[in-house]
Amino acid sequence: MERYGLVIVWVAVIAIFGFLRPDTFLTWSNFSSIFGSEAVLVIVTLGLIIPLTAGDFDLSIAQTLTFVSMLTAILSARMGVPLGYIIPIVLLAGAAVGLINGAITLYFRIHSLIVTLGVGTFLHGITLWMSDSQTISGVARTLMQYVIIKRIFGIPLSFYYAIVLAAIIWYVLSYTAFGQKLLFTGRGREVGRLAGIAVGRVRMAAFCASGVMGALAGILYTGTTGSANPTSGTTLLLPAFAAAFLGATCIKPGRFNAWGSVIAVYFLVTGINGLSVLGFRTFVHDLFYGGALVVAVMVSQLINGRKERAL
Amino acid sequence: MTSQVVPRLEIRGLTKTFGGVHALSRADLVVMPGEIHGLLGKNGSGKSTLIKILSGFHKPDEGTLHIDGKPVALPIPLGRSEKIGLAFVHQNLGLLPDATVLENLILGDDARSGRWFVNWTAEAERARRLFDQYHIKLDPMAQVADLSPVKRAQLAIVRAADRVSSHSDQASPGVLILDEPTPFLPIEDVRELFSMMRRLRDSGVSIIFVSHDIDEVKEITDRATVLRDGHVIGTFESANTDRRDIVAAIVGRALTQERLVGDVSGPSAPLLTVMGANGGTVRDLSFDVRPGEILGLTGLIGSGYDEVPSLLAGAQKALSGQLRINGEVYDLARLRPSDAIGAGISFIPADRPIKGLALDISLTENAMLPLAVRGEGRFRLDHGKRQQTTAGLIERFVVKANAPQQAASELSGGNQQKLLLAKWLQLGPKLILLDEPTQGIDVGARREIYERLLEACRNGAAVICATSEFEQLEQIAHRVLVFERGRVKAQLRGSEVTKSSIEASCYGETRTHEPADA
Repeated sequence: MERYGLVIVWVAVIAIFGFLRPDTFLTWSNFSSIFGSEAVLVIVTLGLIIPLTAGDFDLSIAQTLTFVSMLTAILSARMGVPLGYIIPIVLLAGAAVGLINGAITLYFRIHSLIVTLGVGTFLHGITLWMSDSQTISGVARTLMQYVIIKRIFGIPLSFYYAIVLAAIIWYVLSYTAFGQKLLFTGRGREVGRLAGIAVGRVRMAAFCASGVMGALAGILYTGTTGSANPTSGTTLLLPAFAAAFLGATCIKPGRFNAWGSVIAVYFLVTGINGLSVLGFRTFVHDLFYGGALVVAVMVSQLINGRKERAL
Repeated sequence: MTSQVVPRLEIRGLTKTFGGVHALSRADLVVMPGEIHGLLGKNGSGKSTLIKILSGFHKPDEGTLHIDGKPVALPIPLGRSEKIGLAFVHQNLGLLPDATVLENLILGDDARSGRWFVNWTAEAERARRLFDQYHIKLDPMAQVADLSPVKRAQLAIVRAADRVSSHSDQASPGVLILDEPTPFLPIEDVRELFSMMRRLRDSGVSIIFVSHDIDEVKEITDRATVLRDGHVIGTFESANTDRRDIVAAIVGRALTQERLVGDVSGPSAPLLTVMGANGGTVRDLSFDVRPGEILGLTGLIGSGYDEVPSLLAGAQKALSGQLRINGEVYDLARLRPSDAIGAGISFIPADRPIKGLALDISLTENAMLPLAVRGEGRFRLDHGKRQQTTAGLIERFVVKANAPQQAASELSGGNQQKLLLAKWLQLGPKLILLDEPTQGIDVGARREIYERLLEACRNGAAVICATSEFEQLEQIAHRVLVFERGRVKAQLRGSEVTKSSIEASCYGETRTHEPADA
């Protein structure tokens, strides 16, 4: 019951909005557009849970997304670099951001929250500088073809990319020795170190992985809109955290997990989509995401608290 | 009736069940004014339930409480215990290390830290008088973080005594409940703490002293009560009762204290040789261990004996030194935990919740961690097999657990320790390093842990056990190295390994005629 609680709530939310607005809300086109356009948020959330599992925060991930999105647009629209070169370049850029986050956090022993907050803001500065604070459009159409235009069962490809990434992260977290190393690095770092885990390397790998996930999300973002906007990612950070913590209350309660994250993202965007179909304006985004983050953390405290009281 | 002394605290028929199981069953406890009363029992005997009822944490099913002859309604509202004359000092002491002694003393005390204004000069003066009264040398302006462990314990206790005497509605000196305040204190500090407790008693305060340590209870308490399986087994005069009878009351069966080990049976060539190890407080340490041998390391706190296991496991950085195991030589300054594990060394640390087990994670994941790190199931963890292996370990090491999937935090301390032992012994280590392997563990679980170690020795492993419990060494060590200021001051072998000779050696003069690496 606890494992599927969020799924049930999600279904209930769909039922309520569907009952209130069957013609606009409860349509396949509405849902397929939600599934496609929010794939970016799913990937950012999946990126977050990797360092979160290892006990680190990556607040720079949304700015990595924006930076990579802008880099992709500039390389493609302004410099005419083919996509086949752009994609490896920007993925490397994402990994480099992770490397910087990790190196500063580990070498100077500073809390990742502060390091990634600083690195993210710095990165945003670079993005604004690079783009002269302008939206850059004219990205190669192939990218849009493979992200948002081509559809399977009416759902854009971007959704399937997100699902494939979720499957990979799910497998790594639950079925590999590395998943166990990540878990102990986060939940019992000293226990892990004494068992022979090179916890520094594991944390570094987690930062790099989230950098690469941020970059993948950036590529998809540019592919979704065909352009790059220098503030695009800023609004994604909080929803992604909300989804990561909310996701940790279901499927595998008490742990950050891939499928929980996917469900949490779609639960949140369904709620917001439904409220805007009902005519509420944009302020509901902040109400809903902020509220969800706080409620998610409260619920996970209750889950953990119950475990302690069961002693 | 009137001529009789009214008990300070009188509990009658206290009963508490959790899910139909009696945690406490018709328990009686009578503590007289100015008495130090011991409370003994294994983990799960009902000791903590009784204390949690007194602190208002649990609501009893039945039973009455009288303080100074006046009935007290149960349950006690949380936070009201000082008003009725009860104050608690738990093992963690509840002090803020980053604050001063004085700040800690008046912390949360409405009467002292007034609503708007604190008269620090007057409070400091009052604190000095309070410390003088109990002959405690404490500077009110010192940072608690800079105090020695015993000073911290004294501060916590004097604070509790002060609270009761200034807050109690009963105008009596009240009852202090000291919940295991001594396990982390070296012996001479325990003595210091005891003399302070005696002064408190002489001023009329009653003290309930909860402990695992029978010798301490015999030494400091006037009377003691033993709990077992929720029942009060009996109350006895501490000084006049035989130790063996107390043990029998606690465990329900008599445990002999005889030595569990004879001569080392393995080959005489050393399995491990340590050469010139330096690091932490340890200086120029050289020794060797034979297969099948249990080597004890001990000394007073700060002598460095307890750092040796972590130095040899690569858990703590050494400055220099070498380790030779099975013909392979390792540089201690570069030894990482993974190297040590690869060399067949298993380290069982003392700080179980931080270093031993990740408590909110399942038994399986904890127990299988060394295998996963070694690369077993690198790309395909076999969860079924991992759980089966864990279930096997749980059975073999007699861990009381419901299922391999449950969180490690749900086990009692003793069972966590057995799981920790299982986690490492499953690798079949050649050398087992232990740091305080039985801290806070009841007598029965202790015995089971010893048996596992002896079994490993029979299979040719060597054991190095650092502990401050001399009794434990008397039971299981073939040989003991006694440390002082980071160096080995004495070596005891065979029949010399007794509690009294280790004690004598710890406090005795430095012996130089018998170097340890001979």
